[in-house]
Amino acid sequence: MPDAIHQLALGFVHLATPSNALALAVGLVVGMLVAVLPGLTLVMGVVLALPFTYGMSVTPSIVLLTAMYLSGTYGGAFTSILFRIPGEPLDVPLLWDGYPMARQGQPARALGWTLIAALAGGLLTAVSAVALAVPFARFALRFDSPEYFAIIAFGLSGVVSLGGGSLPRALVSLCIGLMLATVGVDETYGADRFTFGVPMLKDGIEYLTVMVGAYGLGEVLTRLEQGFVTPQMDARAKVSTRLPRWSEIRELKGTFARSSLVGILCGIVPGAGATVGSFVAYGVESQYGKRASKMGTGIPEGIVAPQLASTATVGGHMVPLLALGIPGSGATAVILGAFLLHGVQPGPQIFQTGADMVYTIFASMFVAVFGMCLLGYFAIRPLIAVLRLPEAATSAFVALFCFVGAYSARNSVTDLWMIVAFGILGYLFERFRFPIAPMVLGCILGPVAENSFMTSMIAYSNDWTVFFTRPISGVVMLLTFAALAWPLWRGLRQALRDREARADAAIPEANP
Amino acid sequence: MTRLRAAVPYAAVLAVALYLYHATDAFAAMGREGQLSPAFWPRAVLGLLMLVCAWEIARAAWFPRDARAGPVAAARVEEAPGEPPRQPLRLAAGIALTAAYVPAMEALGFFIATAIFLAAFMVIGRYRRPFVVAIASIGGSLAFVFVFMKVVYVSLPLGMGPFRAFSASLLAALGIH
Repeated sequence: MPDAIHQLALGFVHLATPSNALALAVGLVVGMLVAVLPGLTLVMGVVLALPFTYGMSVTPSIVLLTAMYLSGTYGGAFTSILFRIPGEPLDVPLLWDGYPMARQGQPARALGWTLIAALAGGLLTAVSAVALAVPFARFALRFDSPEYFAIIAFGLSGVVSLGGGSLPRALVSLCIGLMLATVGVDETYGADRFTFGVPMLKDGIEYLTVMVGAYGLGEVLTRLEQGFVTPQMDARAKVSTRLPRWSEIRELKGTFARSSLVGILCGIVPGAGATVGSFVAYGVESQYGKRASKMGTGIPEGIVAPQLASTATVGGHMVPLLALGIPGSGATAVILGAFLLHGVQPGPQIFQTGADMVYTIFASMFVAVFGMCLLGYFAIRPLIAVLRLPEAATSAFVALFCFVGAYSARNSVTDLWMIVAFGILGYLFERFRFPIAPMVLGCILGPVAENSFMTSMIAYSNDWTVFFTRPISGVVMLLTFAALAWPLWRGLRQALRDREARADAAIPEANP
Repeated sequence: MTRLRAAVPYAAVLAVALYLYHATDAFAAMGREGQLSPAFWPRAVLGLLMLVCAWEIARAAWFPRDARAGPVAAARVEEAPGEPPRQPLRLAAGIALTAAYVPAMEALGFFIATAIFLAAFMVIGRYRRPFVVAIASIGGSLAFVFVFMKVVYVSLPLGMGPFRAFSASLLAALGIH
């Protein structure tokens, strides 16, 4: 730990260089703007920022994207509380208590609680990232190919089972992503797979085009089909922040503790991102909070719980990303993409080979927390003014960013066609309610999963039991199956409850 | 009818998966003796995909749909705002425009194609203030040319014939060489 603190201090020094400091400042502002605009999701914003990092070195690139990610978990709170417009899905629970509090004539108080929750969640996330990353990485140094395969399988199963919604749809999305990753010349044998005689496909399908097309253009097409209908903001709403007193904060110490735990856990577990963290924290508070029965009426607990938990997930996500090279959410998948584009493979070795970079990123998280809170306190009025921009215009520019971003990676017109194709696929996913995140993660992690699987099979003479007989991989594979079985069990239990409820309802009808 | 409609996406994915499974025959024999072939991994993924699709088609055909929301979101479904009505013609125009933008960029060059794309997209998106549309599309296009070619050093398409000459003179005017 003393070594980590020393490295972190050096990280703060490195962060003071103009390129890193500028990247941090830009990331904070852009992340806030993206979160405020309802048509732009946080992941989409991080994706669209990616092309701007091509010409930068790796550290400011990651600092920029991480700052966007962190401030994006906070920015949407303002529109949620003031105008009942959730900028992000993760901001939906915030409006259940934030908006009623604002309607009761206390919008400044609601924004004050949000700021305190974001500050607490942000500091917690930064501390947890520093504290957990090195032990995680040391543990990961024991890994061989079976363990890597097991960990990736666990990561993918988490995304599938914890992302919310339907398990079959998530599995279909994941399989499509894994299949996209198999296109091109295979690494083990050099065989052409699914190229259909098209030379460009030999290089494979760039995950960047999948991400940008499906998330960016897909969302634009979905919004276009809906005619860019955005709720109008209430011009009379007062935009100021009043911080709660220390005694008020102390009264909510239970809420802070519960939501912190939920946030950290949802961060570390792959797939359970900021949105799940936000919903779960609100649910936990509704069940175990001191004033559980008053949740939804405009009480501070309903604001603190989702905001704190969603911000606290960021650091948790950064730990497996840096220590294992496994992203647990859409945004960290993009950050992994940025690492790979700069030729850096995150993993346990990165703490030896790139400690300066890692601790500069950690230091940037500490500074970003204070930066986003200062922005939220002093600059919220101009930030939410972007809501007045016509959505048709912002969406046109988002679509343009998608094209230019994809073209910039390889200067290839084929990638532009890919963007169109994946944009339409992304739209179809939205239309039929298939989640996009499993496809993107499958596309990024597919080659690593296949490679570690094939290497294990070659090294252990096609003995597939190796994944279950080695202690670490065995435990992780068990967790993988548990993660997949959990939603099935949950569905079965719900079906039984529904059946019982229907039977109970039928009894009085039968005996009037 | 609703059940059949629910099965359509899975049927489409199943059909593509079956075709791709058949296509793995082309490289299935390329593996070394005693080792898994390069078709093993894609076949395993396609197998899982087909299994899930078949299950969902069967479920849609024989069991009532029980679309459930996410784990916690379900509790708040009743509060979700209703979706606005869909406008398929607008969507079709948007898709056609994005598809046309790619060849247009190669033929007309980035600046002209982008200005037209931005203006047309805003109009399709129901934004009808011609002066703002013109300023935003031309100004936005110029800004993209400047940022990406001068700052980020991306070589954007210049177009063909007279459009190429126009792009070259525009770049010269912006001080981009």
